Amino acid sequence: MEQIIFYILAGVAVIGTILAITEKHPVHAILYLVTSLFSIAVIFYLLTAPLVAAFEVILYAGAIMVLFLFVIMMLDLGHPEKGIAPQWRQWLPALALAGVSIASLAAVIVSRHASAAAAAAPAPAPAPALPIREVARHLFQDHGLAVELVSLQLLFALVGALYLGKQSKGGETK
Amino acid sequence: MDMITIPAVNMTPILPEIFLSVLAMALLLINVFIPSGQKSYLGYISFVGVVAAGVLVGAGWGAPVESFSGSVVQDNFATFFKIIFLLSAGLAILISDQYMEREGCNHGELYPLILFTVVGMMLMAAGTDLMTIFLGLEVMSVALYVLAGFNRANLKSNEAGLKYFLLGSFSTGFLLYGMALTYGATGTTRIAKIAAIVGQMTVPSANIMLVAGMLLMLTGFAFKVAAAPFHMWTPDVYEGAPTPMTAFMSAGPKAAGFAALLRIFLVALPTLQVEWSQLLWVLAVLTMTVGNITALRQDNIKRMLAYSSIAHAGYALVGFAAGNGTGAAGILFYMLSYTFMNIGAFAVIILIGKKGEANGTVMDFAGLGFKQPALAVAMSVFLFSLAGIPPTAGFIGKFYLFSSAVQKGYIWLAVIGVLNSAASVYYYLRVMVYMYMKEPTEDFEWTRITPPIALSLLISVAGTLIPGIVPSVILQFAEQAVKLI
Repeated sequence: MEQIIFYILAGVAVIGTILAITEKHPVHAILYLVTSLFSIAVIFYLLTAPLVAAFEVILYAGAIMVLFLFVIMMLDLGHPEKGIAPQWRQWLPALALAGVSIASLAAVIVSRHASAAAAAAPAPAPAPALPIREVARHLFQDHGLAVELVSLQLLFALVGALYLGKQSKGGETK
Repeated sequence: MDMITIPAVNMTPILPEIFLSVLAMALLLINVFIPSGQKSYLGYISFVGVVAAGVLVGAGWGAPVESFSGSVVQDNFATFFKIIFLLSAGLAILISDQYMEREGCNHGELYPLILFTVVGMMLMAAGTDLMTIFLGLEVMSVALYVLAGFNRANLKSNEAGLKYFLLGSFSTGFLLYGMALTYGATGTTRIAKIAAIVGQMTVPSANIMLVAGMLLMLTGFAFKVAAAPFHMWTPDVYEGAPTPMTAFMSAGPKAAGFAALLRIFLVALPTLQVEWSQLLWVLAVLTMTVGNITALRQDNIKRMLAYSSIAHAGYALVGFAAGNGTGAAGILFYMLSYTFMNIGAFAVIILIGKKGEANGTVMDFAGLGFKQPALAVAMSVFLFSLAGIPPTAGFIGKFYLFSSAVQKGYIWLAVIGVLNSAASVYYYLRVMVYMYMKEPTEDFEWTRITPPIALSLLISVAGTLIPGIVPSVILQFAEQAVKLI
């Protein structure tokens, strides 16, 4: 049962992502991306990571998507006819690189499977759901510095964005 | 309800970082009360702050401390690099104020952003956890993107900022992917634990996930140190960015990239050295050759120094490919001397330049030797050092790096390095030919040298000559610094 749900969701995620790339209308593309992110969230839940699933919905499908839509509205990009299809010169290298990375990913997975089959290891027991408490403990005890650093970085990203975005009065001769 | 206990942390290792962060935030607040036109005071405050941070850092020499459950450390290696970062920041602050005034963008945000970049670089050098190193890199990069585009009224500067931002974010993706794969292969982000786990593997190079992670991390850092073939951003960003920030970018962040690379590859992945040293061999040859050959054809001096900085990353990679104690100490020494000679050269470029980034070609140095003999002598010292001619620090550094390659048996690598170095003499000396053997142009109008920039020139000349004449003192420090690795 779980496997069937997983495959359905995985299919939705992949198709959603492909459509998000190919869709010319930015708002439609974003909606496809949201669909894809939601199915990924459920996949995380199936993998006994409810917390990550919740983050996926709140942060990606929620906050970041709103940000995307907001930027699109602000820059008035919702006109698909203005979009320019990339030339083959532009997408050919990207396609080649994507091929390389997919092939190497496949190699990793195949070699994993091969070594697992060779060892004839029993199927791993499903991991117990990670309690939030455990995540918090890991975050604040082992990575306390990282938490502080992220907050500091956000502050200065804000300072930088504010500086670059600010129009100065009367040109730049002040 | 029982609470999660936060372990008691020893703040000593990150004391300089805390100090600089607080200072940066305080400067942001003070900035509001300082009228525009007098923002240079912020520069003076931050310079004093950088010196104070240098004292704090220096006090930690020889007293290794680990903190934050092993995610950051104070050791000689970190201390040496922190001193390099502070020097580059201090010199950059000194040369900023005259230039920014001239270009009309002496905004108060400049100095907090420089200090913040230093905090990021320090954490990259002191981090013993992939997370700390990554966040340090991000802290550094975000501030640098803004600094590259700091002259917001200038289109070229905007272009530099945007280009750096886009390509930098892209390369960060590679780096993070590599770190994630390494984490997947070893189950930890602590560098010491990675080393232990990889050491237990029977054939670590057969672990595809680990090798892929290593390669992606190498790609990410190679971008940051501007190594070929990941160097494409360098000329445009260096040319477009405000000159003092170009100077800063070419010295500090490059050293930070090498600090993180050295720590990750020599401490966490020494068991894979056979694999990565071959890669670095190729990378070093490519970087040196591409940098030097392209620099031969440049007329714009900032662009020329950009390609030269690619070539210098290549020389440092020679020591890294050797991967032994001599090579590592050589990189430390080279990064220190490169900071002095490169920022010094950029300081002279600032003095030659005119408003709107005018006078930025090699031809504009014509006759400098007659008009401003002292300045021309200083520039000659920097150029000699960049070219690697004794008795300058550049010579000793290159000597050390190439001899580490010979020790390791990479004779050809050393030979290619020396040949490259010989080719580079052409474009450095071309500037000198213009300074001493060409007539000055008619409308030669002299920019006055303000005390801060004079001080920076003095420090740079001393920093280029003294290690060249008595290298043993600094080499001893460098060797002690890499002993822990």
